Amino acid sequence: MTELASPTQHPTGWSREFIGEITATEPVMGDSVLVTFTSPPQLAASCRAGQFVELLCRTPQSSDPLLRRPFSVYATNPARQELTILVRPFGRGSAWLVEQPVGAILDVLGPLGNTFTVAPKSKNLLMVAGGVGAAPLLMLANEAVAKGMNVTYLLGAMNAGGLLAPGHLPGEVEYIVATIDGSAGRQGFVTDLVSEYVQWADQVFACGPEPMFRSLRREVLANRFAAKPTVQMSVERTMACGVGACLGCMVETRRGMRTSCVEGPVFEMDELAW
Amino acid sequence: MVTEEQQSGEQWVPDFTVDLAPDNPRELVLRNPVIPASGCFGYGIEYSGIVDVQRLGAFVSKGITPAPRSGNPMPRITETPSGMLNAIGLQNPGIRGFIRKYPPIWESWRVPAIVNISAEAVEDYATMARMLDDVPGVAALEVNISCPNISAGGYCFGWDPVMSSEVTRAVREATTLPVIVKLSPGAVDVIEIAQAVEDAGADAVSLINTLVGMSIDTRARKPVLANNTGGLSGPAVKPVAVRMVYQVAQAVRIPVIGMGGISGLADALEFFMAGASAIQVGTAVFSEPGMLIRLIDDLGEWLRANRIASLSDIVGVANPRFHSTTVRHSEIVAEMVGQ
Repeated sequence: MTELASPTQHPTGWSREFIGEITATEPVMGDSVLVTFTSPPQLAASCRAGQFVELLCRTPQSSDPLLRRPFSVYATNPARQELTILVRPFGRGSAWLVEQPVGAILDVLGPLGNTFTVAPKSKNLLMVAGGVGAAPLLMLANEAVAKGMNVTYLLGAMNAGGLLAPGHLPGEVEYIVATIDGSAGRQGFVTDLVSEYVQWADQVFACGPEPMFRSLRREVLANRFAAKPTVQMSVERTMACGVGACLGCMVETRRGMRTSCVEGPVFEMDELAW
Repeated sequence: MVTEEQQSGEQWVPDFTVDLAPDNPRELVLRNPVIPASGCFGYGIEYSGIVDVQRLGAFVSKGITPAPRSGNPMPRITETPSGMLNAIGLQNPGIRGFIRKYPPIWESWRVPAIVNISAEAVEDYATMARMLDDVPGVAALEVNISCPNISAGGYCFGWDPVMSSEVTRAVREATTLPVIVKLSPGAVDVIEIAQAVEDAGADAVSLINTLVGMSIDTRARKPVLANNTGGLSGPAVKPVAVRMVYQVAQAVRIPVIGMGGISGLADALEFFMAGASAIQVGTAVFSEPGMLIRLIDDLGEWLRANRIASLSDIVGVANPRFHSTTVRHSEIVAEMVGQ
């Protein structure tokens, strides 16, 4: 055996396990919370829309809940060396996380995964978000607006209280909402809004629950010509390691099984096996 | 005991070195006893940017099979109280693809790479062992016997002493590499299996593999995992693992590698004191990859603080019949059932 050699660069670049301190919490979308925490400077700077972090949602002394929880990055602030995630308390881990106060210490792994890819020629971007799927698309909307692109952002929720307040989006974004109970915007599903934008959009980006993806696909296939626009979907799977080691979070694609943690979470809709 | 030489320096360094194949001329000497377990550390490269892989005692690859396997349908994993169930289904590129892809990377690594092999026929285990025998970058084999034996109607090799022995002997004859046999906790009598694989030429045994479990999705009214059952791992299995390591360490003379729910120093010490010469960390790697290196450091610190010169001084200290030549199988079992 010989002395080594620096370790191989990890495929996700600067990802690593680090300790972050919560610097701000802000209730949004009803029961959800925007959690902002400190991160090493190069991580905040290199993080791109679509990537996620995995958080330990327990005290170090506890062994339960055991596994890290993945959260899409909502915003990054390289100047302040901070990352923000959007947390909805629907399980034991996320319920613990939304209770953590400013100053609490978090064990973070990331940023992980691939990113949304905006084609150089794209001008009009359609974003379709359901619930906490709003997070990675908000970061993408900010990146796109900064580059002068046109963004229409569709968000669906159960009711008006579950929506993201317009002030969270850049002013240049066209923001249209749908609610199941009709208390704000169009009554119905967010995907009911999609058909009229399909031909306008150069690319579609989506994040939300599985049924939303199915409806979105139906709408896009019914309204597009010549396989344009393409659709990128950020999928969610139960995840353990987050780095491609356990092979627990696989996504079935037309070219075989892919890890959602390293080869995803963003996949082209036309590449997924439906 | 702390030697004078060790005592003379202010920060003497405890002896961590462990030989997991003392009877094998090709030996398996680890600089420390901390090893990420099979399935939980990919092929080492996945964690390269996150863990200082080269500081580990060794690592074990994912399970390799004769032919490529695409694994089980999803969902493959689910969380349980202080644990998880997995049914990955041994997704891997197959022995040929594996040999082309990974050992060439490991060849320049300082950390020994142990290859975990799985098969459904005795001759397939032997074929893989033969193929790996002289592959540079491969330090040892870990034989997963928790697989169905096709010629025995799918009965698990590792639950039967004769079948366990046959696999071990076939691998032993096919390679001079150090051979670790990974024992299944599903066996009726793990002691009998351990003695059978020792007699068949294993250099070491590792245990425990996962326990077979199930979770049911009460809304969908069906098992959560697409495979229905999965392997239970994590802190939930630790007491079972410690008990089995304790028993096996009484019954065999070869080194025992302990694993099952280790999440830090306190857990690791239990396994050493039960009789493990080295430990593997599995599920905890997913939650806390940084813990691997912390564990090496914490163990050194603990040995120093307790003025213990060598890790081997604590191996088996909680086990009065550790490596006993006179203990009888019936005595070990009697202790278990409280007679």
